[in-house]
Amino acid sequence: MNFDYHALLPEIILASTVMLVLVTDLLPVKKYWAAVVGIIGTSAALVPLLTLTFCDSLDFCEATGARSMFSGTYVVDSFSLVLKGLFLVVALVVLLMSIGYLEGGRFWQGEYYFLLLASVLGAVVMASSRDFISMFVGLELVTGPTFLMAGWRKGDDRSNEAALKYFIIGVISAAILLFGISLVYGVTGQLRFADVAAAIAVRGESPLLTIGVIFTILGFAFKVSAAPFHFWTPDTYEGAPTPVTAYLAVGSKAAGFVGLLTVAYVAFGSTRGLWAGLIWVLAATSMTLGNVVALKQTNIVRMLGYSSIAQGGFMLVPFGALAGADVTPDMLQKAFFATVTYVLIYAAMNLGAFATIIAISNRIKSGEIRALAGLGVYAPGLAGLLAIFFFSLAGIPPVAGWFAKLAMFNSAIGSGSGWGLALAIIAALNAVVAFAYYGKIVKSAWFDAVPDDVSDAMKADTKVAPSLMLALGITFVGTIAFGVFPSLVTGLSEFASSLSSGL
Amino acid sequence: MSFGDWIGQLENWIFAILAVGTLSGAFLVVHSRNVIHSALGLVLTLGSSAGLFLMLGAEFVAWTLVMVYIGAVIVLFLFGIMITRAPLGYESDLSHPMSVKVTAAIVSGSMFALIGWAFLDAFGSVEFPVAEGPTRTADIGISMFTNYVIPFEVMSFLLLAALVGGIVLARQDPEEVDE
Repeated sequence: MNFDYHALLPEIILASTVMLVLVTDLLPVKKYWAAVVGIIGTSAALVPLLTLTFCDSLDFCEATGARSMFSGTYVVDSFSLVLKGLFLVVALVVLLMSIGYLEGGRFWQGEYYFLLLASVLGAVVMASSRDFISMFVGLELVTGPTFLMAGWRKGDDRSNEAALKYFIIGVISAAILLFGISLVYGVTGQLRFADVAAAIAVRGESPLLTIGVIFTILGFAFKVSAAPFHFWTPDTYEGAPTPVTAYLAVGSKAAGFVGLLTVAYVAFGSTRGLWAGLIWVLAATSMTLGNVVALKQTNIVRMLGYSSIAQGGFMLVPFGALAGADVTPDMLQKAFFATVTYVLIYAAMNLGAFATIIAISNRIKSGEIRALAGLGVYAPGLAGLLAIFFFSLAGIPPVAGWFAKLAMFNSAIGSGSGWGLALAIIAALNAVVAFAYYGKIVKSAWFDAVPDDVSDAMKADTKVAPSLMLALGITFVGTIAFGVFPSLVTGLSEFASSLSSGL
Repeated sequence: MSFGDWIGQLENWIFAILAVGTLSGAFLVVHSRNVIHSALGLVLTLGSSAGLFLMLGAEFVAWTLVMVYIGAVIVLFLFGIMITRAPLGYESDLSHPMSVKVTAAIVSGSMFALIGWAFLDAFGSVEFPVAEGPTRTADIGISMFTNYVIPFEVMSFLLLAALVGGIVLARQDPEEVDE
C-alpha cells in the first residue's frame, strides 16, 4: 500500500506537534513553551497545505489534482485544503488568546495546549474524510477534548456545569448521529459517501433511509448548535474559559459545518428533498431564537453564545433555501459557496470579537454588558476593535460580515422557490434584530457614562499581553481585508466549492 | 413460513432465548431502583446481544462486546459506584412524576412504532443470504490497518486526550507560580 506522504504531511506534522507539546510540558521550562511549540508546529503544518495548493507550479511536486487515499475514504482536494487552512489558523489564534489567559490563573497549561491541538487534529482529519467512519471518529476527536477544556476552571461551579452539560448533550448527539449513520449503512450497505450516493440513486428513497438521513442531519445540528438543539450553548459558552468558548464557537462549529457540508452535498446529494426542508426549519428557528434571546442578555459572552446560534442559522440558510427548488448544479455550487464563505468570514470576525472581550475583561474584571459603558473614554483602541468586530457580525460594510450576508442572500433568493424567498425574508428581518443588540453595545461603549465600579487603576492599565495583541492583529487584518477585498475570500471559497461540482 | 415451522428449528429457540434475555435485561436497567441491579441488568443485556452477534457469525463484535463492555465498562461502573460511596440499596428519589413517565412512554412508543414500521417496510420481504461461516477476525484487522488506518490513529489520539484530560480533572490545581 502506497502512502502519499505529501498529502498527509499536514496531519503528520500536526500529530507530531500534539505529542511534542506533551513532551515539552515535562521539560523543566516555563509552561508557555508548550504553547510556543504548538504555535511553531501549527504554522509548520500550514506549509504543506501551500505546497499542495500550488502543486502545479512546483518542480518537486507531482500534480495529481484531488488526491484520493485509502480506497477513496480520505481525499485531499481543494475543499479540504481550504478548510484545513482555516482550522490551523483558528488554532493559532486560539493558542495566542489562551497564553495570557492561562498564565493569569491556576491552570494546567501543557495539557490544555495538548487537548486544544488534539481537537484541531480531529477537525483537520474531518476536512478530508469522505466516509462515515473517518468522519464520525474525526468529529469525536474534535468534541472529546473540548468537553474537558470547557471544565478547565475546576474551582468554578459554572465551568463544571458547562463541561457536564456539554458532555451529556455531546454524547447524546453522537448517539443520534451514529444511529442515523447505522440506518443509512443498513439501507445502502455502503460507508463511503460516493458509494452511499450511488446506492441511493439506484434504490431510491425508502422510509428507513428517510429516518437515517434525518437522524444524521440532526446529529450534526447538535454540533453546530442549531435551534432547537442549542440549549447547551449559552450555559457552556458562559461557563467555559473564554478562549475555549472562542474555540467552541468557531473551530468546533466550523468542524460541524464541514461534516454537514460533505455529508449533505456528497453522501445525501441525490436526496436533497429529505434534508432541505428539515434544514429550512433549523435555519429559521436558529436565526429567530438566537437573535431574539440575544437582545435580553446582560452577560457579554452569553450574548455572543446566542449570537453564534443565530450566525449558525445564517450559515444554514443556503442549505434550507434548496427546499422546494428546482435545483440545478449551478445553484448547488452557489449554495455551497455561500456557506463556505460565511464560515470563513465568521471565523475571522467571531474570533476577533472573543479576543477583544478577553482583552476588555482582563482590564475591567467583568463580563457584564453594563460594565462596558464608556469604554471609548479610557480605552479607545479596544472600544474601536469592539465596534469593528460587532459591526462585522451585524453585517455592515466595509467590514467583512456584509459580504457573508450578501453571498447568503444571493444563494437564498437565487434558488427561485417560494421557500427560499421566505427564508431570505426571515433572514433579513433577523439581520435587523441582530443589528439592534450589536449596535446597542457599541453605542454604550462609546457614548454612555463610565460606571462607578470601573476603578481608576483599571482605566490606567493599558497593558495587553503581546500574544493577545497578535491574535487581535490577525483577526483585525482578516476582518478588514475580507470586507474591503471580498475577492480574497471568494477566491478561497470558490476554490473550495469544487466539492459540490461533482453533483 | 408458519409458526409451526418456525418453532421447530433449534436456532429460532436460541434466538428467542437471547432476545428475551436482551429485553428483560434492558427493562431491569431502566426499571430497577437499585444501581447495582441496573448494572447487572446491563450485563444480561450485553451478554445476550453478544450471543445474537455470534448467531450472525460476527465473532469479533461478539467477543469485543464481552471483553470491553462486560469485562471493562461494567466493572468500571461498579468501581465507580463503590469509590464514590454512592448509597447502595433502594433509592426512592430515582422515580419521576407520572406526567414525565407518560410523556416518555408516548415518545419512545411512537419512535419504536415508526422505526419498526420503517424496518419492516425496508427489509420485511427480503431474504438475506446466509454467510458462509463466521467473519474472520484477521480480515477485520487487515482492513483496520489499511483502509481505516486514519480513523484508527485518530481513535488513539482520542484515547490519549481522554486519559490526559481525565487526569487533569481529577488532580488538584497547580500551585500559584511565584514570579
